[in-house]
Amino acid sequence: MMPGSHATSPERFGSPILRVSEVSGLICDLLDDARLHQIWLRGEVTNYRNHNSGHRYFSLSEQSGGRIAVINCVMWRTTASALTFTPKDGMDVLAWGSVEVYEPHGRYQFIVREMIPAGPGERFLMVERWKRDLEAEGLFEPGRKRPLPVFPRRIGVVTSSSGAALKDILSVISRRYPVEVIVSPTAVQGDGAHTEIAEAIRRIDGLVDVIIVGRGGGSFEDLFPFNHPEVVRAVAACRTPVISAVGHEVDTTLCDFAADLRAPTPSAAAERAVPERQEVLRELRGYEERIRSLVQQRLERAQSDVDDLRERMHPRRLARRVHERMQRLAEHQERLERAALARLQRERSVLTELSTRLEAQNPLAVLDRGYCIIESDGRIARSARDLQAGEHVALRMKDGRANAVVEDITYDRDL
Amino acid sequence: MTETFEEMLEELREIIRKLEDGDTSLEESIAIYERGALLVKRCEDLLTTAEMKLTELGRDR
Repeated sequence: MMPGSHATSPERFGSPILRVSEVSGLICDLLDDARLHQIWLRGEVTNYRNHNSGHRYFSLSEQSGGRIAVINCVMWRTTASALTFTPKDGMDVLAWGSVEVYEPHGRYQFIVREMIPAGPGERFLMVERWKRDLEAEGLFEPGRKRPLPVFPRRIGVVTSSSGAALKDILSVISRRYPVEVIVSPTAVQGDGAHTEIAEAIRRIDGLVDVIIVGRGGGSFEDLFPFNHPEVVRAVAACRTPVISAVGHEVDTTLCDFAADLRAPTPSAAAERAVPERQEVLRELRGYEERIRSLVQQRLERAQSDVDDLRERMHPRRLARRVHERMQRLAEHQERLERAALARLQRERSVLTELSTRLEAQNPLAVLDRGYCIIESDGRIARSARDLQAGEHVALRMKDGRANAVVEDITYDRDL
Repeated sequence: MTETFEEMLEELREIIRKLEDGDTSLEESIAIYERGALLVKRCEDLLTTAEMKLTELGRDR
């Protein structure tokens, strides 16, 4: 008799016979469900084993209402090395991964790609979700970032009035470039802190030239309010440029993304907010030196221009022109003299000629030929009628005079 | 003094630019140099006399 022939289910005789690989394949197909892939799984760590190979084997379990559920998990060496904490049995965790079948062992297991502690983990995931949403709203756009004023007159600080961050900021500012600081106090951690921070930001916006929003270092939980959309939106809505300085270098909050500048620490934020007085003074001295030397150069250039002009007006040049003129003057003088002389000679020859002609007409010339002129009372006697007998007359001759007396007068008949 | 520190620095830079430009007349060079020296003095005074002033906003408004 065949074993099992006494079984109570007669239907089994009509069922097909499947091979192991076929059933295993079916199971694979059934588990290949989107609901089991790329999911966050929350549970308590049990049977945690750190294998020599570097792979981590453990279970995630959940106990509720007297029932217990367990899922076997494995985290491969490469992803396990990225763990930011050391998992231990009893820990509440969030694991990211997919359910897969391991056919050689006939097991299904959850392949973990990422794992974080559940409490902060949930908040971490919340931050990631906020980040995605706020980014989609465009609040983190690089184009929104405004430059900080180089020489602010008033700095606003949004932080706890009793925290180390404020002390650090005040100490840096008073050392570097003392300006007016206005503190807008707020709680920086704990329930409701985000609302208070956002209000403190809105209160100071527009009253100052730049705002520093921040706090000192702390745990992820402590810094959590600075991730809250209420704070991020308050920062993004500011008219005044904002520097975000939350925690230490390694800490990043969503507030940092929305701010115009992210500073690694509150002290660093203060350094970015104000210039260094000594540097500015050095720059000023540089300017002073520069304008002094430029004016000096300008004066030297003007001097050299004057020198140049003076050189061009030099006596040599002038003398040459004077000599030129003098020479021309001398030439004129010479021509003038020559002309005058020629004229003189011409006049002289005319005169000579006239004089010769005059001489020829000299009435006294007849005296040379033996004639004489009779003068009576200083007048020339031209006619016998001009004379009277007995009259004393003078006979003017070529070479002298003779006085004579008229004895008698005979008149020519025909006169 | 109504100009801000930034405005004064800006004017100082403009003066330097003008001085560097060889076309500026000698008279103007000297005039703007004097202005520049005055600006430097003012800026320095501002920097050296500055002191931090601290106020705190009331929380309710």
